[in-house]
Amino acid sequence: MTTSLWGMDINVWANAAIRLQIIVLVMTVVVMGLIWAERRILGRFQQRIGPQKTGPFGLLQSVADAVKLVGKEDLRPKNADPWTFELAPFLVFIPIFMGFVVVPFIAGWNISVLELGLLYFVAISSVNIVGWVMAGWGSDNRYAMIGGLRAAAQSISYELPLVLSLVSVAMFAGTMNLDEMVRQQAAVPYIVWQPMAFAIFFIAALAELNRAPFDIPVGESEVVGGPFVEYSGIRWSMFMLAEYAGLFIMAIIGASVFLGGYIWPFGEELGRGWQLMLISAKAGLIIFVVFWIRASLPRLRIDQLMGYSWKVLLPLVLLQVLVNGLILVNGWSEVILGVTGLAGVVALVTITGRAANRPRSILARPAAVKVEAA
Amino acid sequence: MVTERAREFDTQDLLINVGPQHPSTHGVFRMVLEVDGELVKDVIPYIGYLHRGAEKLCETMDYRQGIGFMDRTEYLAAFNAELSYVMAVEELAGLEVPERAQWIRMILCELNRLSSHFMFLGAFGVDTGVMGTPFIYGWREREMLIDLFEEISGDRMMYAYFRPGGLAWDVTRNFKERVREVIKSSAQGIKDFDGLFTENEIFVARTKGIGYISAEDAIDYGMSGPSIRASGVPLDVRRDEPYLKYSEVDFQVVTGQHGDVFDRYACRLQEMRESIKIIEQCLDKMADTGPIMPEKMPRMLRTPPGEVYMRTEAPRGEYGIYLVSNGGNRPYRLKVRSACLSNLQALKQMSVGLYVADAILVLGSIDIVLSEVDR
Amino acid sequence: MKGIARSLMTTLSTFSRKPVTRDYPNVHKPLPERDRAFPLLLWDQDIDEPFCTGCHACERACPVECMTVLMKDNPNHKTVGGTSTRRKIIDKFWIDYARCMRCNICVEVCNFDAIAMNNTWTGHEMSVHDRKDLVIDLQGLLAQSRAGAIKEWVPVLGQTNE
Repeated sequence: MTTSLWGMDINVWANAAIRLQIIVLVMTVVVMGLIWAERRILGRFQQRIGPQKTGPFGLLQSVADAVKLVGKEDLRPKNADPWTFELAPFLVFIPIFMGFVVVPFIAGWNISVLELGLLYFVAISSVNIVGWVMAGWGSDNRYAMIGGLRAAAQSISYELPLVLSLVSVAMFAGTMNLDEMVRQQAAVPYIVWQPMAFAIFFIAALAELNRAPFDIPVGESEVVGGPFVEYSGIRWSMFMLAEYAGLFIMAIIGASVFLGGYIWPFGEELGRGWQLMLISAKAGLIIFVVFWIRASLPRLRIDQLMGYSWKVLLPLVLLQVLVNGLILVNGWSEVILGVTGLAGVVALVTITGRAANRPRSILARPAAVKVEAA
Repeated sequence: MVTERAREFDTQDLLINVGPQHPSTHGVFRMVLEVDGELVKDVIPYIGYLHRGAEKLCETMDYRQGIGFMDRTEYLAAFNAELSYVMAVEELAGLEVPERAQWIRMILCELNRLSSHFMFLGAFGVDTGVMGTPFIYGWREREMLIDLFEEISGDRMMYAYFRPGGLAWDVTRNFKERVREVIKSSAQGIKDFDGLFTENEIFVARTKGIGYISAEDAIDYGMSGPSIRASGVPLDVRRDEPYLKYSEVDFQVVTGQHGDVFDRYACRLQEMRESIKIIEQCLDKMADTGPIMPEKMPRMLRTPPGEVYMRTEAPRGEYGIYLVSNGGNRPYRLKVRSACLSNLQALKQMSVGLYVADAILVLGSIDIVLSEVDR
Repeated sequence: MKGIARSLMTTLSTFSRKPVTRDYPNVHKPLPERDRAFPLLLWDQDIDEPFCTGCHACERACPVECMTVLMKDNPNHKTVGGTSTRRKIIDKFWIDYARCMRCNICVEVCNFDAIAMNNTWTGHEMSVHDRKDLVIDLQGLLAQSRAGAIKEWVPVLGQTNE
């Protein structure tokens, strides 16, 4: 079995291996760029400059950080579980990179075109939570354990809205092949027909990636870095690499599934350069908003976070799937889809606002723990 | 009844040690949280990591030398701490402070209240989980204020500027313009914080209804400052027992109604607006020139035997100095009544039953300065 | 969601403002005249000797006891054929900057205006590897003033603006 790579026909496995190598190398550079961009953008949001000394505009700051991290001693606490502790970074890191197999950067650049690409992506991207829990458990640190358990709870809760929001698009697209989905958006991107699915995808993706305001597993002001608290050097940098690679992959998937990927609005005949610019701009926009939110919003509490997923996002997205089904089975117009989606966005905004402004008497004392007389 | 099977699953509470090195303990405070899952069942605070014996040290020094140590008991609002001390000494020695010096003292104390509250807003904002932005906002404005303090007193934090009898030396010539400039900038900072937090749904959900303490309990614990005013007790030394020229300016005592973390935040924000109002009135009423020290000041200040308790309203609450003199040039006994120490007592009552993340917020909302707690 | 939008707009407005930070080691903020770093001894440029007579006033007044002063007869005094009117002059002087709390009392008690606070950046950038290196001797204390590098501001207690 042979496939084409740079015009040559080579074995499918060799082809995939070569492409994966390229991805790993490019990804490392992209992650460094993202870290630099985050620091510069956060700096601007906070009226400061950000890294600027290392190289032009501080571009080499991430390189310097990487060199420092690689050179650092790889510490392991005395009481840590050696296998769990040392394996955890790999279990966080590898699934994220396996996700790149199906990512449709531009036409013909994916490592492999899978018919069930979307399913593969959501399946593989949820594996890394095992690594988080292992890191939390193996560190023999109470902050790390609380962080790891929070990460597990959060990841499981937000997996469902994330998957269902993608499902509602897949129902509409009639395929799970990511390339096919992108090609179908040549005229109109899916965000027009499924705005609420996009909103929920974005929120759930933030939670999946442990980004603010859902960064409670690593919350610096509470659990001091959560599962990473005992890690240093190269293992810590693997967590960081996985985090930012996850952000990048999620942005590309979001741009491809909802924003028309590399095709919309210029159609299919574009050259590779234009396609690359389109997808970078769309993914870049999503990433910019993620950084913007990080600079602006406080962190949720664990119960509020879970409640928001189970009581707000999940019912809404299930309703969306139901409505999609009704519309598609009856063969009604796409416009109705868009209208229901917009109604869903309004509902999401209203419910979120009301959930936050509940009367104080209900919020006080979340559980019946006896207060001893002082 | 505990069955055999249930005993197998008998769980143990987890002890988490927060501090003394923890990003959210605002200094070297340590609390041990006993948690059941994420719920706090008990809080055991440990203080004393920053104890320097400042009170005892002051007893070996004359009145002027003690000022520097008072700065260091309350480093975020050193003018207020100095003020209590020098006013206590003046009371004992029977010194009459010139009017202009009083206005300048008042302006500087209110500016220091602003800078201290900006520090609170920044640190508290970071506790709630915003990545650094509130800190930079707070420090941006605090830097303006501190630059002004440096121009006037020469130092950025430990001013040693108030002296028994008045001020060490006069303010700069462009004092009034500079203060106007700085409070304009502070007003912008307050606006930024207001926009960043006050209506933000996540912030509201995080802070409203947690860390509740009733007015009665707050009084019982001896709390003071914004922490007690948030519980609805209009206790403000500036109004109840006016010192300096507070009886001549018009301001409101800001009180909350719910006694929760949000009200403590909102009280401080509103108090900053009141401070700006006070400063503006002071600037209008203050003379441009005039004496800042009494005519006849002895070279070495000696006080007649006696005792005095002088309290002022520092940013964190009532900062009191109890001073006993036996007729020498140094205190026989000095006791600092620290607002933070009393406020901190309520920590356990406020945070038991909350989540771990909320306990951190409650601690942040009390706005402790560990050097004042431990002295 | 209105509040969240307002938060986002607030940060966006600061995004568009100019950064407020300084590029510190390269750009130093101008220090005010009254800035207090650490005490220094002043150099009498007219007679070419220190102002300090070693009278121990500052040493006695120092709350943290960071000073050590030794006095000697002035070899440059008029009675021995010199140009100076100072009968006694400073022999040895150490200030432990690690102990000093920069309270300005030594400046206030000095009867000869011989000591002042360093109001330049050299007084703030003094990191050393060993705290013993922060004990500055007479030559070190005089060097700044002798080279004319500091603009002296010696406050008088209770001084008013005219």
